[in-house]
Amino acid sequence: MPVSDRAALFARVRHGCRGAPAADIEAQLRGLGRAPAAALPAADVATSFLVNVLKNQGSANAAEHRSGAVSAVSAYLYAHYRSQRLVAGNDPRLAAMPWRDAGVLPRFGAVAPGESVTLSFARLGVAEMGAVVIYTGRSNPAANNLLPERHIVLLDSSDLVSDMESAWERINADMEKLGRPRGVNFIAGPSSTADIEGQLVYGAHGPRGWHVILIGDNATDALQQARAIAGR
Amino acid sequence: MEQHSQTFLDNAHRALQDADRARRRDLLGRLVPAARTAAVEAFDHFEALRRHVRRVRQHALDNLDHYLTQFEREALHNGNHLHYATDDAALNSIVLDICQQHSARRIAKGKSMVTEETGLNSYLQRAGLDVMETDLGEYIIQQAGETPSHIVGPALHKSAAEIRELFLQKHDLGARELVATSDLVGEARQVLREHFLAAEVGIIGANALVAENGYCMLVTNEGNGDLCANLPSVLIVCTTVDRILPRAEDATAMLRLLVRSATGQAQTCYTSFYSGPRREADLDGPLETHIVLLDNKRSDLLASDYREMLQCIRCGACLNHCPIYTSVGGHAYGWVYPGPMGSVLTPLLTSLESSNALPNACTACGRCAQVCPADIPLPDLLRDLRHEEVQARLSPARWRRGMQVHAWLAGRPRLYHFLSGLGVAALALLGRRTGSFRRLPMAGGWTSQRDLPAPQGRTFMRQYRRRQRQRDAR
Ligand code: SF4
Repeated sequence: MPVSDRAALFARVRHGCRGAPAADIEAQLRGLGRAPAAALPAADVATSFLVNVLKNQGSANAAEHRSGAVSAVSAYLYAHYRSQRLVAGNDPRLAAMPWRDAGVLPRFGAVAPGESVTLSFARLGVAEMGAVVIYTGRSNPAANNLLPERHIVLLDSSDLVSDMESAWERINADMEKLGRPRGVNFIAGPSSTADIEGQLVYGAHGPRGWHVILIGDNATDALQQARAIAGR
Repeated sequence: MEQHSQTFLDNAHRALQDADRARRRDLLGRLVPAARTAAVEAFDHFEALRRHVRRVRQHALDNLDHYLTQFEREALHNGNHLHYATDDAALNSIVLDICQQHSARRIAKGKSMVTEETGLNSYLQRAGLDVMETDLGEYIIQQAGETPSHIVGPALHKSAAEIRELFLQKHDLGARELVATSDLVGEARQVLREHFLAAEVGIIGANALVAENGYCMLVTNEGNGDLCANLPSVLIVCTTVDRILPRAEDATAMLRLLVRSATGQAQTCYTSFYSGPRREADLDGPLETHIVLLDNKRSDLLASDYREMLQCIRCGACLNHCPIYTSVGGHAYGWVYPGPMGSVLTPLLTSLESSNALPNACTACGRCAQVCPADIPLPDLLRDLRHEEVQARLSPARWRRGMQVHAWLAGRPRLYHFLSGLGVAALALLGRRTGSFRRLPMAGGWTSQRDLPAPQGRTFMRQYRRRQRQRDAR
């Protein structure tokens, strides 16, 4: 790295700046307050999240407990592939689920060529975007979000937040505890493109199908209401 | 990238001859603004959001030395290599060096206007590398040997039929039917997937750089940028210092503006934050990551009266709402950035001498400033550039003399009103019979396309004053 380019750039940037003390800069930033978030489509966070998942052209299901989620995964696999195979990252939460009860056959690791479906357990769900947040790592190889034909994502309803600012509060707290993950992915829908004459097509490079299963006491009710609001 | 901005008028003239493309541009100019309006209205507090983000960005630019230092520290701490490039040539050679150090042959590239600016692709290709654009729009124009016509949808000028022909000719996949748009997308997916899996180096741009934690934000719908960032063993992020924001939440606040302004979506499919190379125990991800920060005159802009232009988030809304852009298309502007934002940026990043036609490609209608989510006063900046153009004597001498005469007259209102009253009365008299003029001396350019309606006999100011008097009398 030519040091001179760095020095030159820093000198020129400094020339264009006010040179305020760091404490003042931080105080000023705090004084700017919080950005307004998008209006939520329903009164509660879980319903709003699911409405936006459906609007993002995702499909959704709900379960009260983890065993219900296993059956929901099994039903999805059967409906699309008449098979019970999938690939999941080494997330301890996934490893602990009663797969055998529903006959699902997970392989734990990163997706390999020829494998069509992956499963992830999201760290968070953001109602405002209808997005799930996944950290890359041992529990979730990035390829599992990007390469399969269909991506199934589980989410605990206690991990739902209303907006992106609240999402960062949780993510920043995780980083304090566990260090920074290589990637923080907000995923909000199947991969899409409108690059040919502005026509929207799904399955551009990433998954064509994106299926979210919300797990929690109120999840089934929330899903019913969300379907009514989204009309899907 | 090679520049043809000085021939804007000829470029525009040629573009207008292509009826099919003109029709598609017209459609773009109606559909995308409608989608944007709907998304903005559904948001509820868009104005407040716009104000908030503008304050944050101004704060970031006012204290860029502080945030640049912080970003550098955090990004290094995350395990990145950082590089600084003063100009195009420096960025290109830094990137090539990294590729050669790894004996890379295949490069998978995500969408990046910064590397369009530096002409990185052709530079790497001349060195024998196989560089493939992976954003579908960028891939299409790369295959066609063209340049982007829009900063968000680079291939929107091409019809599906053209793209079908292109794919049949370029992809050696035997006899097949490519009927629906989804067939075309599917074929590109298949071809590009192979390249992704084989590429040794991925190159992407960044929508934002987060000072507090050293992450780069990447926003796409296709997921192609994420494949570039995750599959190859080396990742290079090419970006500029003006992308730096203080906190991660500032980046996602800006994202709210960006998606709604660009496509009218409520969010993009993939919003990703990448911190650096693969962590211990990670199953995938690049082993080595580089961030190249290009200056290319941006630090000059920071210290200039055009500083607000650094707040641009590259959403393309000003293009979609510009009557000139939607008439003549992006290629007429002759460089990387078209439309109102391009007409400001091009002279500033290249030179006014090589692009003084662009600040004049403006009707001063003000729509761009109205919709710009970064609240950039684009028409004012264009006017300032025109002012500089006159001062630098770049506009034709006849034009400048005309403007001088006009300015002299406008500074003497009595004389001005007297003479314009005389002119209007004379035109009214001459045009009495036909009601319009087919030809006028010194206005041949105007009347070659349409007739000038004859004035009614009194200037606007006279009529206005008369009405005022009548009202006062009542
Ligand atoms: S100038 Fe404003 S409207 Fe135009 S691309 Fe930049 S942010 Fe968008």
